[in-house]
Amino acid sequence: YLPANVDRRENTLQRKRKEYFAFVEQYYDSRNDENHQDTYRQIHIDIPRMSPEVLRLQPKVTEIFERILFIWAIRHPASGYVQGMNDLVTPFFVVFICEYIEEEEVENFDVSSLPEEVLQNIEADSYWCMSKLLDGIQDNYTFAQPGIQKKVKMLEELVSRIDVQVHKHLDQHEVKYLQFAFRWMNNLLMREVPLQCTIRLWDTYQSEPEGFSHFHLYVCAAFLVRWRKEILEEKDFQELLIFLQNLPTVHWGNEEISVLLAEAYRLKFAFADAPNHYKK
Amino acid sequence: MQKHNQKEHLYKLLVIGDLGVGKTSIIKRYVHQNFSPHYRATIGVDFALKVLNWDAETVVRLQLWDIAGQERFGNMTRVYYREAMGAFIVFDVTRPATFEAVTKWKEDLDSKLVLPNGKPVPTVLLANKCDQGIDVLMNNGIKMDQFCKENGFVGWFETSAKENININEASRCLVKHIIASESDPVQSVEPDIIKPHLNSSKIVSCSACFKS
Repeated sequence: YLPANVDRRENTLQRKRKEYFAFVEQYYDSRNDENHQDTYRQIHIDIPRMSPEVLRLQPKVTEIFERILFIWAIRHPASGYVQGMNDLVTPFFVVFICEYIEEEEVENFDVSSLPEEVLQNIEADSYWCMSKLLDGIQDNYTFAQPGIQKKVKMLEELVSRIDVQVHKHLDQHEVKYLQFAFRWMNNLLMREVPLQCTIRLWDTYQSEPEGFSHFHLYVCAAFLVRWRKEILEEKDFQELLIFLQNLPTVHWGNEEISVLLAEAYRLKFAFADAPNHYKK
Repeated sequence: MQKHNQKEHLYKLLVIGDLGVGKTSIIKRYVHQNFSPHYRATIGVDFALKVLNWDAETVVRLQLWDIAGQERFGNMTRVYYREAMGAFIVFDVTRPATFEAVTKWKEDLDSKLVLPNGKPVPTVLLANKCDQGIDVLMNNGIKMDQFCKENGFVGWFETSAKENININEASRCLVKHIIASESDPVQSVEPDIIKPHLNSSKIVSCSACFKS
């Protein structure tokens, strides 16, 4: 969320951090007010239910996430807090934490051992990064989540063009894209791949114009087709849906994400500039 | 071994209720026989399958649709509800607000889904987390019976996914009602009233379930 101009960066960073804590001071006490307590309670219930497990079990982390999400929800009344947003803070938070520790340590690192000031900066930076991310995809989270509905439709359309066989197979077994791809859109694949892969993936999204809204679609299409062999082998609705909701990515690393991204770029270039190119 | 006269039923069941009441935990307990206090919040819908050997001639396959608790979907629940044959509505006995939301979920369900014969789908109410000891319903069984009658639930159970209490029983009760509503589409099924006892190890019965 830093300005392109290097000279202004340090200033902006300080200003934004201050601004965030001014929000905290202004709003956070209202979390128990009648009209906000539902929001706060939902966040409070969801925080212990996010991934990865190590982080969420630390009270210090819980506190930070609750503040970030509550402040964001209060400042964005059109959408408020939506389940899944809690997962969208994690990659940023972990990246910032990793500036202070070795990457391998993140699995069992005690966050409260960091100095308070460092933690505050991490909190503010995570807030603004998440905020920036959500700015680009707000209609994913407004009432009835129109952005997600639209993107799931687009994904279906795209897959029907790039892999008719997979598309027909899903259709034949009455698997609806919404049944598995809703979460892909809502949590930006965060739930489908290990955390390190999400960080790698989002790194590319950030460097792409409209990465989280537009390019993500091509990644999802490539991701689905990546499993074409397994999909085509499954012969009934139940098995297909259980497979698609529990894709075997536990051992994925950078290599798999690189291949996925390369494929997504290929699709993007094949379709983005010529939307009618492959029309039947 | 499959007998040649064996019948197979496939039912789609919905599991709905406010967020964090334990819908996912109940399903994981029922299908995988385990429990974790740290299931991630369900996004959209999660799908699971449970196969029951109902009796000597019948196998029942249950598609369990675990629907995210945050009502943010607008009409999206309609898509998930489609063609369901029965439902569990779950609330958390330690949080009264989740019980207040039960009627809202029931209304949402009934307004979007009816059986082919025009009736509402059989629905069982689950009072989950009954192991917590802060049970707001204790000694309130009569009120609950009344509540079920008034709101069109076919029964209710106090459940615990953690301690594995009453989940199989609740499911059998629901399936029984689905089978009854299938075989006898005209006759209405009287709501059954169950008063489960936490300390009894006996299987809780459900009056209508055994009337045949």
